[in-house]
Amino acid sequence: MMATSIDSRKLFSVIFVISVVILVTLNNVADANKRNKDVNALSLGERVQQLTDFSNKRPVIRMNVQKFNDLVKGTPRNYSVIVMFTALSPARGCAICGPANDEFSIVANSFRFNSQIYSNKLFFALVDFDECGSIFQSLKLYTAPVFIHFPAKGKPLSQDKMDIQRFGVEAEAIARWIAERTDIQIRVFRPPNYSGTMALIIVSVLVGGLLYLKRNNLEFLYNKTAWGIASLFIVFCFTSGQMWNQIRGPPVVQRTQNGISYIHRSSQGQLVIETYIVFLLSSAITIGMILLIEAGKGKGDIRKRRVMLVVGLGMFALFFGMILSIFKSKAHGYPYSFIMS
Amino acid sequence: MAVKLLKSKSGDATAQKYETLLKLSILSLGAILSFSTRLFSVLRYESVIHEFDPYFNYRTTKYLTEEGYYSFHNWFDDRAWYPMGRIIGGTIYPGLMITSALLHNFLNFFNFAIDIRNVCVFLAPLFSSFTTIVTYLLTKELKDEGAGLTAAVMIAIVPGYISRSVAGSYDNEGIAIFCMLLTYYTWIKAVKSGSVAWAAVCSLSYFYMVSSWGGYVFLINLIPLHVFTLMITGRFSHRIYVAYSTVYCIGTILSMQIPFVGFQPVQSSEHMLALGVFGLSQIIGFIDYLKSKMSKENFDVLFHALFTLVGVTVVAVGSILMITGKISPWTGRFYSLLDPSYAKNNIPIIASVSEHQPTAWSSFYFDLQLLVFLFPVGLYCCFSNLNDSNIFIILYGMTSIYFAGVMVRLMLVLAPVMCVLGGIAVSSLLGRFMKDIDQGGKGQDKRPVKPKEQAAQGRRNEISLAFVGMLTFFLVMYAFHCTWVTSEAYSSPSIVLSARSYDGSLIIFDDFREAYYWLRMNTPPDAKIMSWWDYGYQITAMANRTILVDNNTWNNTHISRVGQAMASPEDKAYEIMRELDVDYVLVIFGGLTGYSSDDINKFLWMVRIGGSTDRGSHIKEQDYYSPGGEFRIDREGSPTMLNCLMYKLCYYRFGSMYTEGGKPTGYDRVRNAEIGNKDFELDVLEEAYTTEHWLVRIYKVKDLPNRGAR
Repeated sequence: MMATSIDSRKLFSVIFVISVVILVTLNNVADANKRNKDVNALSLGERVQQLTDFSNKRPVIRMNVQKFNDLVKGTPRNYSVIVMFTALSPARGCAICGPANDEFSIVANSFRFNSQIYSNKLFFALVDFDECGSIFQSLKLYTAPVFIHFPAKGKPLSQDKMDIQRFGVEAEAIARWIAERTDIQIRVFRPPNYSGTMALIIVSVLVGGLLYLKRNNLEFLYNKTAWGIASLFIVFCFTSGQMWNQIRGPPVVQRTQNGISYIHRSSQGQLVIETYIVFLLSSAITIGMILLIEAGKGKGDIRKRRVMLVVGLGMFALFFGMILSIFKSKAHGYPYSFIMS
Repeated sequence: MAVKLLKSKSGDATAQKYETLLKLSILSLGAILSFSTRLFSVLRYESVIHEFDPYFNYRTTKYLTEEGYYSFHNWFDDRAWYPMGRIIGGTIYPGLMITSALLHNFLNFFNFAIDIRNVCVFLAPLFSSFTTIVTYLLTKELKDEGAGLTAAVMIAIVPGYISRSVAGSYDNEGIAIFCMLLTYYTWIKAVKSGSVAWAAVCSLSYFYMVSSWGGYVFLINLIPLHVFTLMITGRFSHRIYVAYSTVYCIGTILSMQIPFVGFQPVQSSEHMLALGVFGLSQIIGFIDYLKSKMSKENFDVLFHALFTLVGVTVVAVGSILMITGKISPWTGRFYSLLDPSYAKNNIPIIASVSEHQPTAWSSFYFDLQLLVFLFPVGLYCCFSNLNDSNIFIILYGMTSIYFAGVMVRLMLVLAPVMCVLGGIAVSSLLGRFMKDIDQGGKGQDKRPVKPKEQAAQGRRNEISLAFVGMLTFFLVMYAFHCTWVTSEAYSSPSIVLSARSYDGSLIIFDDFREAYYWLRMNTPPDAKIMSWWDYGYQITAMANRTILVDNNTWNNTHISRVGQAMASPEDKAYEIMRELDVDYVLVIFGGLTGYSSDDINKFLWMVRIGGSTDRGSHIKEQDYYSPGGEFRIDREGSPTMLNCLMYKLCYYRFGSMYTEGGKPTGYDRVRNAEIGNKDFELDVLEEAYTTEHWLVRIYKVKDLPNRGAR
């Protein structure tokens, strides 16, 4: 559920670009660095101890400038740090930062609470733009979120910056990237999602309750018209490709140079609006044919039946021609058409 | 519909004779049509087996006819999966092979000397003729003879079924659809008559179905579902009790005789519905018996006591098993049944295979055309006239439309029921209006009609005539559509390719068979050939040489090892090839002809699969992308890509070729780019053979150099 929501959001806002002028001047940064170097008297053991303490409190360590320079950039290191640079405050309006943060914490938690792989060789940290913008500037980061791996030896290389454009920000992708960079395999453990089960229980309780309330009159369950309509509805759903929509999640409409198009141009794909159109057309054709059958039954008023006949015949022919022309526009080289081309 | 016309004049002996003659001729014409419409590829190319899997089936059939059943049953194949081999007898559904071997022996006994390959090529069309006849019988049981004939003619040409049963597509599905419909027909017969004989015939045809296709699981769930629905709707009777008990018992015992199925029918969860319904029908039968022997009060007391006891026991046992972890109903398997996107998100191999894709509405239309709209009408007709057998066809329709929506290849299961219900719909539509036209002609001489009524009658006749004309037009259009689809989309053998040249003449690329024949003739009989798994079945069948991996992708690590060799630089690849005893390497290259499903386009899968195991963990997909993150083979491509074995084998000597006018040498016509690494030599391999259009390239792996030679 989580993953699909991210996917859709990724489509719309790829990466949020921070548009705020960074106030801290280069001079200031240089000063800060110098100051930090003086204070930076922590030994390797102390730093590992501090990081372990922090991560025992929270798996994702929230950094400030001081901590970042000491613990992440300080040398020598014998540990890797995965840092997420992000902008979580709602004022920034970064749509993808929130879900990315959730996924990142899932990875961090999966690492922290798996006693087989947990060690003090890998830490997870978070840097927020609103708390320490200067770090962003010193690393020349202009977008968020960014995942950077600070290796045990040396500076981050170009591959140490995760390409979220390609991999996405799902926990599994992050874990795979971490495994590639650090050789620590993290098995992502998602906290189980009970919403599906809950919905199932609620629905079954509702249905059960309804049946219980109407227990003296269960005739409606044997009403074959209701069952017939329900099955026809399901059939139209499937033949109009709703299952394809469910699995592939296509866009509702498509913007092209010639304005908005409602029909996908190839027969390999389809748009959501298109499937609704097909749904309506095919049910109209079927209703037309059912009218014809009913009209032919030979019961009731002859004039009414004649109207049914003509309407049914017209619906059948007209809508069949329409659906044929839609199909023809999708399948290039299809030679047949009816009424309209 | 002429049948209907004649039927209305019943009582006349000559008319009845005509009727029978007409029925017979329509049905036999339908059967002949279904055979002949599947012969496009034979006429265009030759009698050749298609695609990949059919080659394996062909090879096993050939073995069966030559060596006999017992050695086939115990066959250990050392030509595939070198060095492990594969046990064939116990890992396939033998129905297909046995059918064609029997047919071959039967014909040869009567001195029709037909080659086993031709039996294989024409088996699927032959069985679709049988399917046409069975569909007629099934629909006749459900409605009437008119509907039966319409359905039979429809299934003869429906593209959804043709796609899997053209001549040369020698695969399990070709005969399985016939077996399935035969089982349904005998089941309906058994339900209607309640006779043990029909039920026994039903279980025999079920056995044939089990022996020929893994899709029998659909069948063994559908029949219990039907029985269960009949129980709920209060239609359960002695007839159904007899039919189902017989079918379940005999059918299960028979199905366990197939080695590949084994004990699954009593162990696996897919078969539990059948077992549960069997138990339920015994309980209901027992209760009915008690009811007939006891007074109502006593029976009520007993019933309540038993009901409570059984309910408490079931809940208790269930919860104990769930707590101890013996059964776990809320696992991924359960969710994958309810939510089809589960498999796609969590099992990447399913996402990669095109046959496992969901079905867009245009594929429904493409494969079924008019039937898409007739199917709901047929359902409506069934609902308005519910009986035991109609419930069955409704259930079949609803379940199969679900499966067809989830997976495009299961359109095959949907197509027959579409035809059956479509036949019912057309027959009810036409039936009423043909009667109108017919009576319109006769009405006047029977009784005096009032002028007003006569006018209404006349106009009604015109409308009826218009409708009948229009429906006929649509049916003709359906026939044209089906023929067009068959000829354009479903009749290419994929082992022989064809293309149009600039002046419009046809060019045939027969490179695959050329290469396989070269291997057969020019390499030592025990040579081991390395290629990607897609071509495994074809190489063993046509070149008769040992291969490392094939289309039966049972061992992922072995495939991964081959992927690693293809993705490594030459020296690393040489180590792997020495380890696997490879003598020849075969690659498919489309850069010269523009054949797009070649090995370079499949290469990323080789990298992914190669990197998915421990020994290939140094192979990272990332390294094969250009700095811009694209998969390229031109100058921008990553150095790892431009120096891996697959690249070198495909583009060896290609750098000096002119492929297209106005383009530099080494211009790849599939990727539309000039290759990046043009001038290189091979160290540990040497080119052995390249086919006419460079589609297949074969290299010989050199021996280790003599000591001190370098």
